[in-house]
Amino acid sequence: MRSSRFPYLILFIVIVFLYLPILVLMVTSFSESRFGDPTGSFSLKWYARLFQDREIWAAVKNTLIVGSVATLVSTVLGTLSAYALYRYKSYWQTVHYGLIYSPLVIPDVLMGMSLLLLFISFSVPLNLGTIIIANTTFCISYVAMVVLARLENFDYAVIEAAEDLGANWTTTVLKIVIPMLAPGILSGALLAFTISIDDYIVTSFVAGPGTSTLPIHVYGMIKYGATPVINALSTIILAVTFILGILTQYLTKESAV
Amino acid sequence: MPMSSLLEFQNITKKFGDMTVVDNVSFSINNGEFFSLLGPSGCGKTTLLRIAAGLESPDSGRVILNGQDITDLPPNRRPVNTVFQNYALFPHLSVWDNIAFGLKVKKRSSQVIDQEVGKMLQLIQMEEHAHKKPSQISGGQKQRVAIARALVNHPDLLLLDEPLSALDLKLRQKMLMEIDLIHDEVGIIFLFVTHDQTEAMAVSDRIAVMHHGKVEQIGTPMELYEAPKSSFVAAFIGDTNFLDGKVTERISDEYSLLDIDGLSQPIRCYNDKKIRIGELIHTSIRPEKMHITRKKPKETSEINLFEGTVEDIIYKGDHTKYWVRVDDLRLAIMKPNSRFILDRTEITWGEKVWVWWHEDDSYMLERYSETDTNMTELPSEAIGEVEEHE
Amino acid sequence: MTTAPSLIWLILFFLVPTLIVYLFSFRPSEIYGGIGEGWTLDTIKSLMKTSNVIIIFRTFILSLIATAICLVISLPTGYALSKLRGRWQQLLLLLLILPFWSSFIVRVYAWKFLLHPEGFVKQILVSLHLVSPDAILLYQPWTVILVMVYNFIPFAVLPIYAASEKFDDHLFEAAMDLGMTPLKAFFKVFIPGIRMGILMATLLVFVPALGSYVIPDVIGGPQTEMIGNKIVLKTFTERNIPLASALSAFLSLAVLIPMLIGAIAQSRIGKSHSIKGGH
Repeated sequence: MRSSRFPYLILFIVIVFLYLPILVLMVTSFSESRFGDPTGSFSLKWYARLFQDREIWAAVKNTLIVGSVATLVSTVLGTLSAYALYRYKSYWQTVHYGLIYSPLVIPDVLMGMSLLLLFISFSVPLNLGTIIIANTTFCISYVAMVVLARLENFDYAVIEAAEDLGANWTTTVLKIVIPMLAPGILSGALLAFTISIDDYIVTSFVAGPGTSTLPIHVYGMIKYGATPVINALSTIILAVTFILGILTQYLTKESAV
Repeated sequence: MPMSSLLEFQNITKKFGDMTVVDNVSFSINNGEFFSLLGPSGCGKTTLLRIAAGLESPDSGRVILNGQDITDLPPNRRPVNTVFQNYALFPHLSVWDNIAFGLKVKKRSSQVIDQEVGKMLQLIQMEEHAHKKPSQISGGQKQRVAIARALVNHPDLLLLDEPLSALDLKLRQKMLMEIDLIHDEVGIIFLFVTHDQTEAMAVSDRIAVMHHGKVEQIGTPMELYEAPKSSFVAAFIGDTNFLDGKVTERISDEYSLLDIDGLSQPIRCYNDKKIRIGELIHTSIRPEKMHITRKKPKETSEINLFEGTVEDIIYKGDHTKYWVRVDDLRLAIMKPNSRFILDRTEITWGEKVWVWWHEDDSYMLERYSETDTNMTELPSEAIGEVEEHE
Repeated sequence: MTTAPSLIWLILFFLVPTLIVYLFSFRPSEIYGGIGEGWTLDTIKSLMKTSNVIIIFRTFILSLIATAICLVISLPTGYALSKLRGRWQQLLLLLLILPFWSSFIVRVYAWKFLLHPEGFVKQILVSLHLVSPDAILLYQPWTVILVMVYNFIPFAVLPIYAASEKFDDHLFEAAMDLGMTPLKAFFKVFIPGIRMGILMATLLVFVPALGSYVIPDVIGGPQTEMIGNKIVLKTFTERNIPLASALSAFLSLAVLIPMLIGAIAQSRIGKSHSIKGGH
């Protein structure tokens, strides 16, 4: 097992397996042919059709609104939550931790269902507002976990050092604690944003008939038709989310002290 | 001429829950001293340091610095700075900004800051690394930055909390010397906490040996080594042979005859503590004070002479350690290898040898430690076994 | 103070809704949709109808198979990843994690596109005479499993990788020094050594797999309907909220049990580690 090449071969195959379908998708979005023949001639016509589609733009707008608001609120709540979990150890914190941890592991269907029933029970109309609430709810957990991981690596002696050197509480927080935590909070926010703009199931449960987000729209397109316009849209989405992903990874790596 | 003492601990006591970590400690440190707090883990030395820094508050007692009672001052208002065990450098700031931090907090002018930080960088020889972040410099360099960051504020007192424990051996020795040199340059009190007695002995003007929250003894390195007041100090500092026994006869004003467990003959010992006949004592004899020869030396009334068999030998280059079985005991003898004669065969395993020492070179200790009022405990090293304190 | 905001929000929008789901399982369903009055056990009892039992059973089987496949593949993959150093390791880790960031729906769609009856994968297979021209690659159980594996592989590889990093290779050498063949050493030394990682990988795949909705909906057909699909069907198409609630409640319990088993096993493994000091 030590010097065997076999594991590396499998690793290579797995990576290829992971990216091949995506690459095919991206390549064919530039192809003239309708059925994804990659040997077809280069064409941007699917992208052109994409940009003419009004509904997609409305959906994109909604997605961005939801993403931004949910990220903002969940980052604040998630950071506070992580601080509480880090600082205090009590029975309530165990409950608190359970509530933070659970949304990450339960299937989306359950979360969507439960929120839908909540809104039904209280006769809350389903619209952009309910979507924002739903997104915020699961985003809190992501932010909290990321910031908590950062906090656990936080060297408390640094705060004592700041005090020792003459800083008062305000200066310590502003000049030392926040700058040290900032990359962690930022990567938590990026994670929340990425998760939110990609969410389909939970959002679809609480969206109601009138509102559409990009994932909902794309899902509709996928189920009821398969023109390469979807390929073009997919390529753009993939490109954006890949960039976001690389950004976040870069952030977390850079400031791992 | 009495020196004006600059740092005073007055009856400092600190408890954590049920545990008394610092137990009514009082002593003072003189101007410009390199003073070490030495002791095993849990003896209270770090807590005492943190009380001096203001990071902990004593339950009772006062801390006086330069005549001013600083006990109730928070750490950011004391003219005291600390070098932390893992350096606690600000990871998002450069070396330059780390050092400048204290000055910026005090809102010094940028001219002054440039000047002072520049001087510090020169002192620690890190001018080319000023722009780097802590993650980009080595352990030894981080340590120097930590010292510079503290010293640039011109404190009246510098506290060092086991600053060398995170470094490897060679680097530790080098950094210790650098800290010593910096101390000579700067001239303020350095209060140095360590569990490593060779470190403390090498650079300190005076050392306070601590155990279970109490100060066992304060003295210069030589005083602690040659005239320990308790078995704990004698065992903690350096190596020694511990013998158990009791006083049987008064030979003269200054010498007594002792009956030692495991030895067939009584020994003569210097008795400056006027311990009475019948009392139980520990006797401590340092290995380098003992002699080992093949030929029987001239018997005089001043030496204790025994015959034994060599059981173990460790050759250390500049000296050799022998373990010799004498009656029921195993004694450790340290022989300096001062002359190397090519054809001479060295003493080897199993040989019969003579072991002897001067009656002045052993001393009697009544107590195990300050906290032990009845002599129930022996030091952790068993009788006759000698441990290497690295 | 800092606990309150997130705690209140989660109680309001997570705990309470979950309780409502359980509550509604005890309500009867109206014939034309909606929630009836009063309380009853009929809704829960109807879970035991054959059609529902089949779906539950199928969900478990499909999830188990996908988990098993993921585990088998992830073992050499995670191990290889842990043996890489420096730039290569960072790069491959990034490549492995990146799909997690990209759009899930798009990645599922990619397979729908690939396996489309007129897609080029089919054309290649036909030209190789591996499948007949009218074969339909989509909508089969194995396609659902394939796409589930595709989606969950990174979740399985990462814990195995983490556990492999902590694994002391000298144990391998010691085993072979004592006469074991590499293969035997693999099963008797390596696998037990990383059992925490294997446990994590299993949970990280199996639990979400149980709740799959999108994959069976897009890739699968009527033969591959899973609990998630049923819940959506009952909620939106039939408007049978109580039954959907009962199904959701059941799913949440089904998810809870493996997690509890995992947590218990985790603390047991943790204890044996500290007692034996490693092995």
